[in-house]
Amino acid sequence: MLEIKNLHVRVGDKDILKGLNLTVGAGQVHAIMGPNGSGKSTLSYVLAGRAGYDVTDGAILYNGENLVGMPPEERAAKGVFLAMQYPVEIPGVTTMMFLKSALNALARARGQSEMDAIAVLKAVRKKAATLNVSEEMLKRALNVGFSGGEKKRLEILQMALFEPKLAILDETDSGLDIDALKLVAEGVNSLRSPERAMLVITHYQRLLDYIVPDRVHVLSNGRIIKEGGKELALELEAKGYEQIVKDAA
Amino acid sequence: MTALPTRRVEEWKYSDLARALGDAGFGDGAAKAVATAPDGVEIVSLENGNRPAWVAQHYGKLPANVVSAVSLAKAQGGIAMRVRKNVAVVAPLVLNISGEGHVRLLLVLEEGASLTVSEHCDPAATRNTGFEIVLGENARLDHVRLSPASAVVQVEEIALLAAAGAQYHSHFASFGAKLSRLEIMIALEGEKAEAHLSGVSVLATGHADITTHVAHKIKDTHSTQLFKKVAGGKSRAIYQGKVSVAPGADGVDSRQTAKALLLSREAEADLKPELEILADDVKCAHGAAVGDLDADSLFYLRARGLPETEARALLIHAFLEDAFAGVASDDLREMVRGTVNNALDGIAI
Repeated sequence: MLEIKNLHVRVGDKDILKGLNLTVGAGQVHAIMGPNGSGKSTLSYVLAGRAGYDVTDGAILYNGENLVGMPPEERAAKGVFLAMQYPVEIPGVTTMMFLKSALNALARARGQSEMDAIAVLKAVRKKAATLNVSEEMLKRALNVGFSGGEKKRLEILQMALFEPKLAILDETDSGLDIDALKLVAEGVNSLRSPERAMLVITHYQRLLDYIVPDRVHVLSNGRIIKEGGKELALELEAKGYEQIVKDAA
Repeated sequence: MTALPTRRVEEWKYSDLARALGDAGFGDGAAKAVATAPDGVEIVSLENGNRPAWVAQHYGKLPANVVSAVSLAKAQGGIAMRVRKNVAVVAPLVLNISGEGHVRLLLVLEEGASLTVSEHCDPAATRNTGFEIVLGENARLDHVRLSPASAVVQVEEIALLAAAGAQYHSHFASFGAKLSRLEIMIALEGEKAEAHLSGVSVLATGHADITTHVAHKIKDTHSTQLFKKVAGGKSRAIYQGKVSVAPGADGVDSRQTAKALLLSREAEADLKPELEILADDVKCAHGAAVGDLDADSLFYLRARGLPETEARALLIHAFLEDAFAGVASDDLREMVRGTVNNALDGIAI
């Protein structure tokens, strides 16, 4: 489903990704682990199509189509979803109104019929309850005054509603206590399916206790330096990044 | 005749009135005001020289700037409105101002009275409106003013006096003119008097100047100001706001915010909040910011599937929303929102 080949990315005048290769098949969950500054967030942004992340070489093939240069909204329409580390606060737009706008924009782009306010409300309510997203949260301005856990739960709610084929979770565990982490992980696990690929980007092994990956990749200095099964996450936790980076060198 | 201000006068440096008007000035027409008033509001024409005592007591008494002084000298028409003591008028008074030239308005709310005014400025003719508002103790006025896009010069000066416990809540929505200026001079003269001003300017083209003066003359008075501007094309949006706190006026609380979004390289916004504090124990804050849409927000919305123009439109609406969120009447708030939405449809974003 996702095949990243020799990806080089520059931000400003700095090379961040330096020949990254990664393949994720449909139905699989892969974890990207890496220390701060290794290029984790750059990878997530370049997959979602953020401006300012220049691909200087390589390709991002998604179902065989190169995503490089494609606007973010087209990627979203094709099923790419990025759950962000820092969801933005937008005063003046209620969460519900935002969800309706996004659902209908995706529906239009995917050639499906748009939903009226009542249909959107029903669809949202059905999925909101299991993620403990309250009606009151939906009435508030998007992410404004939300706790860290509330923001992340709302990201996962969107993931459930927008039905992506490729979901990228960027540091979804950051800022969560253990109960919030479990709730979010349950939400993510319920979305695992044979048609959906997931890329879980994280600094810590903790999240992978709850979202068990098929493969783990270690990102360091813009490249994947090691990969393995889920036990690699435990090895990282035991040895630390420094040792793994040394071993790989 | 009194000379009209040019941009060499500091307060008019963004709005060169003499130049915009040219030799014709405000013209020789008789601008008029028509009020559709609900029960509980008395209305008297100012054309009639035989004025009742309450009109004579208040008319032309509040401080005026030079332009307002001209309207006082030259206006032939206008109306005076009054709500008597402790009368609460629920339905809004609709005020339509039209025609060319000068016109005067006087509104008196006696002690404990309350009223909502919905003011509409006809965009067709060059006009100067002078408006005096007197709020008695514990009176409350909600004032919404709409000035649609216009190709000519339209200016209005409001002078307002608030006695103890009186409250003034206003929203000014302006959509640009050859030269458009609303200048409001508020004196909070009684303890616990409050003024809450908000406004939006949505400009596809043209000029809109909002100039405010809020004088906290006594302790424990309170004022807030929130003005948002969206400027496209070659438009020019101006906010000048001066808050002054008199000596001894402790316990004053004043907040002042003005923000502008520029949607084209040729658009311009001039935001000038000013504070003059002569008391010790006060809370005053002011801020101003001119910018483009937030890149993080734009990316977030696009990554969730919203096309760029739709994402921008959503953020622009959101930017303006809190400026009219405080309009108390649901109907009037919807009217403002509808007018703003129509205006935004006419701007390349």
